[in-house]
Amino acid sequence: MLNDKPEQPIIIDIKNISKTYIMGTEKVYALKDISLQIRRNEYVAIMGPSGSGKSTLMNILGCLDTPTTGTYMLNGKLVSEMEDNDLADIRNKEIGFVFQTFNLLPRYSTLKNVELPLIYAGVPAAERTARARQALINVGLENRMEHKPNELSGGQRQRVAIARALVNNPSIILADEPTGNLDSKTGEEVMAMFEKLWEQGNTIIVVTHEADIAAHARRVIRVRDGLIESDVLQDACTPAL
Amino acid sequence: MRVLIESIVMALDAVRANKLRSGLTLLSIAIGIFAIIGAGTAVTSLNTSVNGELASLGQNTFQIRRRPSIVLGSRDWIRYRNRKPIDFVQAREFKRRMESAEAVSVNDSEERLIVKANNLSTDPTVTVSGIDEGYFLCTNVTVDEGRELTAEDITLNRPVVIIGRDVAERLFPFSSPIGQQITIKGHRFTVIGLQKRRGAILGSSLDNIVYVPITLYQKYFAEIVSLTIYVKAPSKEALGFVIDEAIGVMRTIRNVKPGEDNNFEIETNESLAASFSSLTEYLTTFGFASGAIALIAAGVGIMNIMLVSVKERTREIGVRKAIGATRSNVMSQFVIEAVTLCQIGGIFGILLGLLGGLALSVAMGFQSVSVPLDWLVGSVVICTVLGVLFGSYPAWKAASLDPIEALRYE
Ligand SMILES: Nc1ncnc2c1ncn2[C@@H]1O[C@H](COP(=O)(O)OP(=O)(O)OP(=O)(O)O)[C@@H](O)[C@H]1O
Ligand SMILES: [Mg+2]
Repeated sequence: MLNDKPEQPIIIDIKNISKTYIMGTEKVYALKDISLQIRRNEYVAIMGPSGSGKSTLMNILGCLDTPTTGTYMLNGKLVSEMEDNDLADIRNKEIGFVFQTFNLLPRYSTLKNVELPLIYAGVPAAERTARARQALINVGLENRMEHKPNELSGGQRQRVAIARALVNNPSIILADEPTGNLDSKTGEEVMAMFEKLWEQGNTIIVVTHEADIAAHARRVIRVRDGLIESDVLQDACTPAL
Repeated sequence: MRVLIESIVMALDAVRANKLRSGLTLLSIAIGIFAIIGAGTAVTSLNTSVNGELASLGQNTFQIRRRPSIVLGSRDWIRYRNRKPIDFVQAREFKRRMESAEAVSVNDSEERLIVKANNLSTDPTVTVSGIDEGYFLCTNVTVDEGRELTAEDITLNRPVVIIGRDVAERLFPFSSPIGQQITIKGHRFTVIGLQKRRGAILGSSLDNIVYVPITLYQKYFAEIVSLTIYVKAPSKEALGFVIDEAIGVMRTIRNVKPGEDNNFEIETNESLAASFSSLTEYLTTFGFASGAIALIAAGVGIMNIMLVSVKERTREIGVRKAIGATRSNVMSQFVIEAVTLCQIGGIFGILLGLLGGLALSVAMGFQSVSVPLDWLVGSVVICTVLGVLFGSYPAWKAASLDPIEALRYE
């Protein structure tokens, strides 16, 4: 199996995963018998045409969704068999999710938004605020702690979302079209941030349509009609800004 | 605890976001709690006052009247309506025949009269009571200046009166009223005594009163009256016996055939207390019933507001779940929100209820206004139960949302 970090442990190991939806009398295959391994500190891009199953795969990797068949081991834990509460715990501690539409809570300040995962993790207030501040400093938003999401630009909102994804030190960072709602320049800034996070040792999986975005990754998986079409390694080729 | 404060803040936010809808719901909670607290305050205050009033009748005294002093419901009223009045002839005969009584007093009163003296006049609020010499034996009413009415005053139709302090202060602000002349409905009387100050009960001052001999009262003030007879037994132990004799005498005088019901009422302190307690029970039940109805309506309102809130915040719920909120996190967040909403309404209701109860008590002149503490605690409990009861279903709906679908919700 392909990977660019053979010395690192496997943290994602999915075997023969399928996801089917029943639409009326028809069975729709969003994913067909996919197997995939990802090691720690890999930087993976998932590409493919619309409706090919990228988001479905991401949601399963992020434990937001469960496969119809197949097994999923995350960090040695068999999450495909887990109960609701355990899945919530995995989402809280192991996974940092970044969405295309940011999904910040509009009534909360930036700081409060970033604190939220720590609230559910049961972290005491003082430590929680300190960690959320640090996460916001790391994404360069130390001057926007008390702003509400609608007082921020799209790029800033996505950085808040990234800070929120990182604040609980997850094993993997999943981003489903994180630049889809951003102009290309801000998109590049966000990708530069992922690049930095990857260099710091994080495991990153990004879904994207765009070749420029995928070019940041070291490994590109192409999906089509619910199947893995190709899985290749590539050199880093950060485009000039 | 942290999640609790979180959720309370969120609840306040939700209230702010939907002012009208929340306002209406909070209003119905407030009305429900208001009804309960209001009834509680009124009943507690009423009880205190009634106990005071009962004490003014002597311990061993009972009354005979045409109808009970408290009639609840129109069915009873119809039963009592056709009773013949107790007239002066009957009363005199009763007094003559009673052997075991220590004292008997015949009296009646008319309210809202004007009393004049020289060029001064009272408001038309004075009670004129026709009494006889037995009145001072049967009640706690005493004269502390001048003298009481005597049997002679009564039989000789002397135009003499005893006046209460309110009347005295109004008509004779600078001099002693004793020996002075007053006029009621054009009839002149001489003041011979002052009633010892008694205070107010159930809204009316007991000192805004004039006592005239019952004989003159009958002649001047009331054409068709039914007299009230007070009977004092020599001792607590003899009370039962005296009541039995009184019933027998009264039945004879009023021609009640054997086997027929009495066509008059005997009221003792105990039976009056019992009537009052049935009145307060009625008030309590009424307060609770209307409160309960308002609260159920409020509960449905809470459920509605929470369901709308869950729907509007579907995405938020999806986000919370995506970053690690468990079902019970979400569930408790919304239940706490519902309880918070109810408590806000409840606080308004408690304030309204206390104010209302206070206003009522002041309006009715209750001497003591008691805040029903147990009812306050009860309201907080009721609001919590209400919030949990009607918030659970919306909260459960929120908790059961699928994260993916919730995140996709527009
Ligand atoms: N809840 C659902 N019910 C039925 N079919 C679904 C559901 N979710 C996804 N699908 C189907 O599964 C397939 C894969 O969907 P998915 O969202 O993974 O595509 P995608 O690759 O992310 O597309 P895009 O690039 O447009 O986001 C699609 O054909 C879609 O119609
Ligand atoms: Mg998608």
